[in-house]
Amino acid sequence: MTKNKALHLAVLFLFTAGSAFAAKPAAVKKAPAQPAAAITGFAAADMPYDVGGAALLRWPVGHAETPDTVYTVFASTVENGGWVKADEFKAAGNSGKSVDLPFWAWDGSSSEHALKVDLNAAFGELPAGTVVHFKVESSVNGVVTAASEPVSAEPKGNWFRLDRLNNVVLFVVLVGVFFWAVSHAKRKGLFIRRIAGLDAIDEAIGRATEMGKPIYYTTGNQPISYIGTIASTFILGEVSKKVAQYDSMIQVPHYDPVVMTVCKEVVKQSYLEAGRPDSYRDDSNFFVSQDQFSFAASVDGLIAREKPAAVFFMGYFSAEALLLAEVGAANGAIQIAGTDAEGQLPFFFTACDYTLIGEELYAAGAYLSKEPMLLSALKVQDFGKLVVMLAVLFGTVIVMLGAKFHWDTLVNVVVNVFKAY
Amino acid sequence: MKLIKKTIPLAIVFTVGVLTLLSYYVPHKVAVDFVETVSKWENIVMAFAFMLGLISLFRTHYGKITRQVPGWGYSIFVFIGFLAMVVPAIVTKGRTMEAGSITALGWSYRHIYNALAGTMFAVLAFYIVSTAYRSFRIKSAQAFVLFVAAFILILGKVPLGQLIWDKVLGWTGYTVSQVIGWIMAVPAVAGKRGIMIGIAIGAVVTSFKIIFGIEKQYLGRD
Repeated sequence: MTKNKALHLAVLFLFTAGSAFAAKPAAVKKAPAQPAAAITGFAAADMPYDVGGAALLRWPVGHAETPDTVYTVFASTVENGGWVKADEFKAAGNSGKSVDLPFWAWDGSSSEHALKVDLNAAFGELPAGTVVHFKVESSVNGVVTAASEPVSAEPKGNWFRLDRLNNVVLFVVLVGVFFWAVSHAKRKGLFIRRIAGLDAIDEAIGRATEMGKPIYYTTGNQPISYIGTIASTFILGEVSKKVAQYDSMIQVPHYDPVVMTVCKEVVKQSYLEAGRPDSYRDDSNFFVSQDQFSFAASVDGLIAREKPAAVFFMGYFSAEALLLAEVGAANGAIQIAGTDAEGQLPFFFTACDYTLIGEELYAAGAYLSKEPMLLSALKVQDFGKLVVMLAVLFGTVIVMLGAKFHWDTLVNVVVNVFKAY
Repeated sequence: MKLIKKTIPLAIVFTVGVLTLLSYYVPHKVAVDFVETVSKWENIVMAFAFMLGLISLFRTHYGKITRQVPGWGYSIFVFIGFLAMVVPAIVTKGRTMEAGSITALGWSYRHIYNALAGTMFAVLAFYIVSTAYRSFRIKSAQAFVLFVAAFILILGKVPLGQLIWDKVLGWTGYTVSQVIGWIMAVPAVAGKRGIMIGIAIGAVVTSFKIIFGIEKQYLGRD
């Protein structure tokens, strides 16, 4: 009897256990209504090296992730609710490696997702100290498969762009070389190669003096804050000093009124230094127009009527480069151009007698002044070019060898070091 | 006197230069605000300087008219042009369209300014032809290289040129478009990048000279 009872109990247990085990698949079927899994390791932090207004979210790549998995990131500025969709992306297109930061500023891994969330786009400009809450959901074909617990971060402005450390190092080296070159110049002279276009300035001014015709000088179409315009004012200083010495006449039509004001002082100072303050005319610098083609038309008219013996184009020029240079050439003027607008160089090459290419424009003021302190700065330009040449040479060799022998880490280091962030 | 003419301006240049330089490395809002403020100041200075420019323009052309220098008649058009744009702008409060119809300012802009600017731009085409003629005169080995590259580019841009290329140089296996693509992508870009690198370094060194007070010609000399 007892034996039969025990048998009944065993059968009952087996049935009960069987039902219990059989219940599990039924529970899985109900999963789509409620997220079955939690996204663990989801973390939010302030986005480093930025002005603020962005957060960095990181979480590990899920084991059940497929190429179709879509992550949706939600953000909220309130404790409960108020979720706003901040971003959405396919899992396959994002990893810790996709963040565009160098190796010394970012340690991203391909086994994690990392996302920069622009909060200004989602909420407008947030007041300082605002804590933002985040959560992320994964879905496949519109069905949510997993979700994270909310996490918080306080976006704030940072004080240093660590990603630009390579730039800082280059800057410090250049400043060091600059001061070394300047101190070196005090001790002994430096060899500076001849620049034909600048040697021809004396010839051009002499010709103008002999012919009794004016010299025209234009500073381009950029404001005084543009470095090429500043370089042009240095050259104007040297040219107008020679003009004063030769007792010739210089006319400087201007595109920008601020540049005109600065150039007036520069020309006046040059006449003073040449010992001819009486020859200085206040109307030698005059404003024409701040419209590109109005300026070109006016200066073309002046050149056509007054037929100057020499014309200088120094600074940044756009489409008016050829309009001006061609009229000068047609009127028989000696033309010397210098520009850092590489697109206009071919026009100056063909229409002018001499052309200063890019960096020569910056070197011209120092070259003409022959001051040791200024000439020494040209050596820094040469040093900079040497650095670039060596970087291009070794960078190319290392990247080519790296691609051949799969030195991925080394290639990554080289690419990061020479990249601008 | 030296303090006002030299020391203070150089100190301002150094301070503003260094702060602007630092703003490249400091992403904080303080740096952003500083750059914005400087930009606003620049705009204000520009607005006042524009008045100086206008006075200079009027003085120059008024002088030409009163002295009746050669070509003084053109100077009258400076004043006519100025009035033709400024008076309608004041009357229409700067609006070019009103209630779906063109205002006096819109008319001046479209039928005077645009027409004149378009004419000047169109002249460029003729100048390009005369410049191209000049550059095609082969005077040196470099000019020959320039000529060959330009000639291939011109050939490739017209159907007749492509036809000639295919007939004469078709045996090479390269189309004129491929050759143009190579010229533009390899030697042209290499040359351009070389110039751009030189420009960038030159700009950096010139900035150093100004910030550290090595170049101070714009302040005058002692």
